[in-house]
Amino acid sequence: MSASFRRRILPYVLISPLVVFIGALSFVPTADTTVEAFFRVMPLDPPTRFTGLGNFRELFTNPVIRTSWVNTAVYVAIGVVLSVVLGTAMAVALQRRFRFRGVVLAIIILPWALPAVVEAVIWNWIYNPTFGVLNSALHSLHAIGGYHVWLGLDRWLTIVLIEIVQVWQITPLSALIILAALQSIQPDLYEAARVDGAGPVATFRRISLPLIRPALAIAAVEALVLSLNIFDQVYILNGIAPLGSSVMLQTYVTTFSDLNFGGGYALSLLVTVATAVLSMAALALLYRRAEAA
Amino acid sequence: MAEAGTRERTARALNQAAAGPAGRALSGRPARTLGRIAAIAVILLWSLFPIYWALNTSLSTLSGADSTPAHYLPAPLVATSYRQALGLGGAGAGTSAQLWRSLLNSAIESGAAMVLTVVIAIFAAYAFARLRFAFKRTIFVSVLATLMLPAYATLIPLYRIMASLGLVNTYIAVILVYVSGFLPLAIWILYNYFNTIPLELEEAAAVDGASPVRALLRVVIPVATPGIAAAAIITFLLGWAQFLFPLILTTDISTQPVTVIVAALNQQRIVPFTLLMACGVIAAAIPALLALALNRYIVQGITAGSIK
Repeated sequence: MSASFRRRILPYVLISPLVVFIGALSFVPTADTTVEAFFRVMPLDPPTRFTGLGNFRELFTNPVIRTSWVNTAVYVAIGVVLSVVLGTAMAVALQRRFRFRGVVLAIIILPWALPAVVEAVIWNWIYNPTFGVLNSALHSLHAIGGYHVWLGLDRWLTIVLIEIVQVWQITPLSALIILAALQSIQPDLYEAARVDGAGPVATFRRISLPLIRPALAIAAVEALVLSLNIFDQVYILNGIAPLGSSVMLQTYVTTFSDLNFGGGYALSLLVTVATAVLSMAALALLYRRAEAA
Repeated sequence: MAEAGTRERTARALNQAAAGPAGRALSGRPARTLGRIAAIAVILLWSLFPIYWALNTSLSTLSGADSTPAHYLPAPLVATSYRQALGLGGAGAGTSAQLWRSLLNSAIESGAAMVLTVVIAIFAAYAFARLRFAFKRTIFVSVLATLMLPAYATLIPLYRIMASLGLVNTYIAVILVYVSGFLPLAIWILYNYFNTIPLELEEAAAVDGASPVRALLRVVIPVATPGIAAAAIITFLLGWAQFLFPLILTTDISTQPVTVIVAALNQQRIVPFTLLMACGVIAAAIPALLALALNRYIVQGITAGSIK
């Protein structure tokens, strides 16, 4: 084999394991989901046959699944807004250097680094109606008269409290992305603002905010994809009750408890399309604003 | 290139920040300084309180943990729950056997996935960053596009593929699925890192007669160690945290990772909260220690290429 031939095929050799993995375990499955969503697939009740939009029609008439769509929309709205706002606040607080900032950074990453299941189990104990510290602390502060059952009674309260557990985990991601953007801003811009007599709020609005828009877009899209996929926290804190159920949890139940694979495929396809459309829209919107600013 | 400059500056600034107490002390007007200290205290409280609460409960006696109002310090402080969880005397032998085995499973699954992902990603990212070949852009963009792909898209087909191959409840199934899921992120991190390495190093190696593979192994990889470390640690943490895929791909304790076991203990309802929190702390200890020790690589990996 000549050296030049070897050199020519080298790139293909280097990327072939990647192509095999992504091809076989990402592209083929995605294509499979897209096709099978239009088939009736019931492992315990064959045969498999084409049903057109049958699976989708079934999904939209199922009240539990309809509830889970609305719930997921609320999870996403709370997740995106809270994690980006809190992430920005954290990044601004950490923008200037100070002693032990490295330690603080290491600590704020912790919730991101731990398994969501373990975190949900911990928060479940915090929310415990009889012995939970949330009740105890609020009661000591006289914020509540008696102990509350936080989860499983009120739909919206349950969703908010479960999403807080996810926000706790994903906010470090937003904070780091936004902090990186803040730190790449030229210091002389802040100097100029200071000379012009701008206060901290005006400086943030006129200088920082426009320049970190792309980072905000990325943080928002990451939060969007993560909260649209919320599963672990719902599984632990809500179980399979319809009240706080998410679409991902319903996909799991439809497929692996009801063994209605076709329905699971159809749900998967809908969410995949929704994810793609929403994240493209968010990126386009925030990037365009960034350019106009 | 301005883009690369910005990225470098950011990486440098963040690394300085992560490097520890070398930074300047708080400065500015006293009121603003106080405000900043208060803000940082709130951030630390928010980040640490749930973790502290798990530690507190796990080190309490059952009557100390199940009390109203809650005790903010474990009194008396006991290690009973840890002894039970780890099987060092005391009751709970079933739980400790399960916990130990699931920790081993987690270590094997996330460890193997990390090694495979990083090796495959190094070669591919190097090809994307440095070599020219047909359909490079198309392949690169398609691989990165799967970063946006939710777990939904592949969950059921992956289960059916593994079932048809008879791989359900094997390490192999779990590892293969992890690798396919983590590759795009690892490639993105390494591709960005390789782009910050000056070309001159490889050109000098080429002048000395080194082939591209030799240049990669002898010149690029040693210089890219921080980027490789970032990809490795992030991949390991993602693997350790997985729940949904192992929930469907593993069926018994021979392969179930610690996340699945902690969820199962939580569901049994008879496991006391002190023991449950001890198991949770043990399951979280390895990622927590890794994150604290290697946080600067995590910061660098998470922010890789986020500045455009």
